Amino acid sequence: MSSPTTSAPEPPRYADRPEWSDVIPVEQYENVNPLAPIFYKDIYKDAADYFRGIVKTGEKSQRVLDLTERIIRLNPAHYTAWQYRYETLLAIEADLEDELRLMDELAITYLKTYQVWHHRRLLMLKIRKPATELVFIAKTFREDAKNYHTWSYRQWLLAYFNDDSLWSGELDFVDELLNADIRNNSAWHHRFFTVFQSGVRDGEQDTERILRRELIYVKQSISLAPNNASAWNYLRGILDHNGIPYSKMIAFVQPYTLPNDDQKADLVDLDNPPPSKDAHLPCAAAVEFLADIYEAEGGDSMLKATELWKSLGNEHDVARKKYWEYRIREGLRAIQT
Amino acid sequence: MSSTISDIYNFDLPQLTRIAHAGHVKRCLSGLPDSQVDVDSGRMALAFYCIGSLDLLKMVQDKISSSDRESWREWIWEQQTSGKYGAGFRPGPFMSTGPSSTSTYTDYDTPHIIMTYTALLTLAILRDDFSRLDKRGMLVLLKSCQREDGSFSTVPGSVSGETDLRTLYCAFVISHLLNDWSGINVDRALSFIASCRSYEGGYGQTTYCEANGGTTYIAMAAIHLAPVPSVPLTPSEKRKTIEWAIHKQLQSGGFCGRTNKVADACYCFWIGGSLKILGAASFIANCQFKFGGIAKAPGEHPDPYHTYLSLAALSMFPLDDAHSTSFASSWVFEPLDPLINARQETAEWARKYIAIR
Ligand SMILES: [Zn+2]
Repeated sequence: MSSPTTSAPEPPRYADRPEWSDVIPVEQYENVNPLAPIFYKDIYKDAADYFRGIVKTGEKSQRVLDLTERIIRLNPAHYTAWQYRYETLLAIEADLEDELRLMDELAITYLKTYQVWHHRRLLMLKIRKPATELVFIAKTFREDAKNYHTWSYRQWLLAYFNDDSLWSGELDFVDELLNADIRNNSAWHHRFFTVFQSGVRDGEQDTERILRRELIYVKQSISLAPNNASAWNYLRGILDHNGIPYSKMIAFVQPYTLPNDDQKADLVDLDNPPPSKDAHLPCAAAVEFLADIYEAEGGDSMLKATELWKSLGNEHDVARKKYWEYRIREGLRAIQT
Repeated sequence: MSSTISDIYNFDLPQLTRIAHAGHVKRCLSGLPDSQVDVDSGRMALAFYCIGSLDLLKMVQDKISSSDRESWREWIWEQQTSGKYGAGFRPGPFMSTGPSSTSTYTDYDTPHIIMTYTALLTLAILRDDFSRLDKRGMLVLLKSCQREDGSFSTVPGSVSGETDLRTLYCAFVISHLLNDWSGINVDRALSFIASCRSYEGGYGQTTYCEANGGTTYIAMAAIHLAPVPSVPLTPSEKRKTIEWAIHKQLQSGGFCGRTNKVADACYCFWIGGSLKILGAASFIANCQFKFGGIAKAPGEHPDPYHTYLSLAALSMFPLDDAHSTSFASSWVFEPLDPLINARQETAEWARKYIAIR
């Protein structure tokens, strides 16, 4: 304990605090042979004993906030402590914005704990100030830009409060994240959510224009980094969503299916940006895309598709060799029947 | 790049250290250090991963003493509680102040849907006869936990429950095992599943979320468990989901849970694809921890969750004959029921003895 590297000394146990002497601690009841028992640290056992004591009497007071905070810091997955804390906050009419500030700290410390984000959601239902929350979330992405709970919370905020000013910054926000990491699939997913799902605003029914903008965006991204499954999935996603056949993309996709030396000279074509000079080509995702186009055409084109699948299995995507063999069998069967 | 790929195909599997993996989960069953205190509100699930691993390794009936099995069963039954929201199993005694059989639960010690699912499977592994099961109470619990949008919260009646596809899946397995779907509004639940589908072809944990391996497995299993003869997926949707899953396999042979993420052993189960077709067995081999137990990735510490799911993946997709290895027998497992996630014999036991209660 005297080592200079140890952090703050352990706080006193509730059993040793005179102001808690009126509470009767209640031990955890467990029958004789516990399964997977946890060898609790003294400080956790002490806090949990007092928590069971408090829950038994139903006390909801300021000191309950102190007690539940200690439990949460020792075990953030203790959902009952969170639940009781929330009920206490409401019962004593605590300042929920203070609580939110405490949560700012806990959210970063326990980024991966569901309860931290769920509690925030409950607070926000009362406080109803989502705009600053978006700023806070952006800050947590500096720790982990793919955290599932955080993204889910952001999507909930946007969809639940759903006002134009809240949505207005989302595309720039996604853009910033994709500039930092073009392979961040969570950001791509969020772009889809914003452009085609909950984020669709009144007056944006001009889907033609939006679709064109998104196609240019994703094609530009692919041209910068062709071997990026997230971008190809986004391209397929927006085509499917808008009922556009993949064949409309053939002029764009084809150059990506050829080796580097077969690339034609530069043509500035915004609709069909060519692969960057240092791209690793042919790109497996493009070959797969082109094969899907041929497969959909059927007939003689099916043979072109099977050639492409063969090249995936033998060269460009050997890890999935058996899968491509399966596609070849299915494709050939389709044209025989 | 392609040379490393062919290495995977010729990979000579080392021994699967069955005894060491069993040792890892048995140690966890006898006690966990305080550093794992966050398991306190999920002990039943941990017990399932441990005892389930022993079951997949076929060690429960002959390698565990009958008195141990008896005392494990007693501990599990002690967690069955009933009260105003119905009956089910709680995660463990972390909020318990007395025997559960003598009084009803409070709002702070209710049963939990995910824990009820894991308790039923664990009791089936231990070949319990389920004579103590409160079936009617369980149907009431399911009803109490389903929300307007069709999803289920983990615990009834409070603000603290998580509601996502995992809980819905557990509610479906419980109904399937009870052979009684009257506790669930199935149509609403199916439309919740549909709302979790992403443009990538996989499913997110809840509405609007990014596609993820765990929840995609769960969505598929739930759709197949549903009793109504509906076909919620069109052939092209189905194909898109398969393609999404297939593309989660990485060069290492392992699987990742989301597009452009790193591999993790549990996704061999969740994404599955199939080890037979795709050769992911070598990835699991590389994740073996030398002191027993299987970790999420090579070089990391093992835990019962990743141990169970890796063994379950091997049970679901037996190795290809092409993997001739001197240690072949250590990789042989009995078939797994992929819908409820238990060894087939255990699943049959569960269906037979839970439904008659
Ligand atoms: Zn994992």
